[in-house]
Amino acid sequence: MLNVRLFDLTTLLLGAASVNYIAALYGKKDTLARVGTWICIIAAVVSTAAIGVRWAESYKMGIGRIPVTNLYESLVFFAWSINLFYLIVEWKYKSRTFGAFVMPIAFFTMVFAFTNESSIQPLVPALQSYWLHAHVITCFVGYAAFAVSAGVAVMYLLKAKREEAKEEGGVIGHFPSTKALDDLVYRSIIWGFPFLTVGIITGAAWANYAWGTYWSWDPKETWSLIVWLVYAAFLHARITRGWHGRRAAILSIVGFLATIMCYLGVNLVLSGLHSYGGS
Amino acid sequence: MADDKRTKSTMDKVWDFFTSLKLAITVLIILAVASIFGTVIEQNQPMEKYQHVYTDASVRIMDALNLFDMYHAWWFLLLLMLFTVNLSCCTIDRLPRVVKVVRNPKTTLDEGLEKSLGMVDRWKKKGSMDVWADKYSEIMGKTIGKPLVTRNSETIHLYAETGVVSRFGVYVTHTSIVIIFIGAIVGNVFGYKGYVNIPEGGTIRQVPTRGGTKPVDLDFAVRCNKFSLTFYNDKFGNPTQQPKEYASDLSIFENGREVLRKKIVVNDPLQYKGVWFYQSSYGPTGTATAQVLAMDPAGGPPANLALAAGQKVDLPGYGAITGMDYQPNYQGAGPALLVVLEKQGQPSAEIWLPQGKPDSDRKRNDRYFFSFGGLSQGFFTGLQVAKDPGVNIVWVGCTLMVIGIMIAFFMSHQRLWVRLTPSADGRVDIVVAGSASRNRLAFEKKFEKIQEDLKAVAT
Ligand code: HEM
Repeated sequence: MLNVRLFDLTTLLLGAASVNYIAALYGKKDTLARVGTWICIIAAVVSTAAIGVRWAESYKMGIGRIPVTNLYESLVFFAWSINLFYLIVEWKYKSRTFGAFVMPIAFFTMVFAFTNESSIQPLVPALQSYWLHAHVITCFVGYAAFAVSAGVAVMYLLKAKREEAKEEGGVIGHFPSTKALDDLVYRSIIWGFPFLTVGIITGAAWANYAWGTYWSWDPKETWSLIVWLVYAAFLHARITRGWHGRRAAILSIVGFLATIMCYLGVNLVLSGLHSYGGS
Repeated sequence: MADDKRTKSTMDKVWDFFTSLKLAITVLIILAVASIFGTVIEQNQPMEKYQHVYTDASVRIMDALNLFDMYHAWWFLLLLMLFTVNLSCCTIDRLPRVVKVVRNPKTTLDEGLEKSLGMVDRWKKKGSMDVWADKYSEIMGKTIGKPLVTRNSETIHLYAETGVVSRFGVYVTHTSIVIIFIGAIVGNVFGYKGYVNIPEGGTIRQVPTRGGTKPVDLDFAVRCNKFSLTFYNDKFGNPTQQPKEYASDLSIFENGREVLRKKIVVNDPLQYKGVWFYQSSYGPTGTATAQVLAMDPAGGPPANLALAAGQKVDLPGYGAITGMDYQPNYQGAGPALLVVLEKQGQPSAEIWLPQGKPDSDRKRNDRYFFSFGGLSQGFFTGLQVAKDPGVNIVWVGCTLMVIGIMIAFFMSHQRLWVRLTPSADGRVDIVVAGSASRNRLAFEKKFEKIQEDLKAVAT
């Protein structure tokens, strides 16, 4: 299918962009990073086209729907959101150093998508709901913001450590100031948090519409709540003295790890831990 | 007296504990970590299952800690309660102060305030104070809001603000959490969840509830007129095994009269008098029968046969026919039935009857030819039944939460002061100061712009 071909191309582009950004950081060559930006823009165009094509192809197959309904589609949508979110950040903050820490997340997401079943399947009755679309889209935009935040949090920790040691120069010397990084960690989360909140609520509304219970403490739901709680803790840590900076950055990273657990771990890890089949 | 003071200070300490943000962060993290257990240990399974997986000792410990139903365990509910008390105390502690600050804004820029503000600028102008004050009021009115003018002795103060609501976003968010909890409690106390099977044509008036000992009496009756199951077609238009829709045609009867009828599917339930019916499962009742027509090529009236699997049906004076096998997609041409025909004195014959070709058997040139009209199967539908009078409270809470978060994050209380005083050299001393409750960077730009506008204007 054409859409899958285009997504494969996106994977290559995001990989190339990651390499450029990392090389630019080590070689201190801004031209390389600028090339990285252009590759990201092309990847954004190609992946947007791919989503559109996949949408159209699903209609041609007589099962038309927004492509956000299975693991493959959610992964590519996630990568698409990270890429877009990243480009906005780069443009607003006028720094290309973030790319080395954010783009690889998008790239590995696409690589993982590549290993998954990519054909367009008709929807089972339980998934035929507009709530599903709203749910997936909001959740993944939120996750993308958290991914950017965690990438920047890693930069913050590296930079803060370097500043503490009173060292100058080097790759890390090129990073924006800790103040700017701390601010961006926070700013990404205040975009991600409302989206995740709406994501959880639309998920609950969907569950209520499909089964008559908006909350049943199943592992997926519970993990989304855990993610939400971690970021709520982050938001309150930010306004408490002594919890700024380092601890907030660590919470952002923990939050993103919880996000990955919620998204993939629940399906991949927990069914193994359950010993007696998934729930 | 001394005693009094001590009790007050313990009270204060308790209050400080319950209003502290540290407690909030701690409880949030403990809730997050605790919740993990319930996702790793499968919840609400029969005891034998746990004994199968864990050692006896761990089962005993986990059971004592209620880890097999932990989200309803006393300690988890206690945590939620602590969380709610913390949240409520915090609100009670802070909200009145915020209201006070908002209702009595500091409308004059004194020196103390000026020192505390990050954004301050000053300049001098020739001319009359009143004229400048009017000019500046006009400009402020265009960018941030019509200013309040205060004159004391020689000084003129201008004060304008915007986005006051942003101060309340946090409290809307926090209150929404309490509202959601209330909704959940109302649902648990006054509602029920149940499950019921209704065979096609059957009617129910009671629903067995989950966890309840007695079924709930409905004050109406529900009949399942029909259950239907459809499959997706493949690209040749033949049905596949992938289910496309589970649907139940339901009717509600009150006093023997049908008051409502609706076809429900997954994700589209039926609601009557606060009770919701959700399509949840289905199953066969009895065995399937194949509808077969025995037709007379000479044009006589056809005979309708219902063949149950493996059961012989006699056709007097002709022979017997038995339905042997059914395939939903026989040789890629859709559903077909395999029958065995036994006629006296002849070997039995196996014939495939494709549903799509009713005339295919005519070529045998016999007294009868057979045509397969489809399988007919009785079903029961399985319905989740829920009554939850708290659910709308929960949705109100959710909506408020989103609104509250948006206000808290994306609005900012911006304030601008201008002070005009006569200068010793006969000109006018002008001080401009601003503050924003959040997103200072954005406000700094706005402040610079306002300041430039103010400086640029001429009398
Ligand atoms: C999961 C539950 C909670 C959520 C979603 C939540 C949400 C929020 C949000 C969005 C803010 C604004 C943060 C900011 O301005 O950056 C905030 C601030 C705050 N929250 Fe919470 N909160 C929760 C629990 C709590 C609890 C349990 C307390 C108990 C003390 C609390 C106390 C506060 C305080 C004191 C502020 C600062 C208010 C201010 O800026 O004046 N929150 N909360």
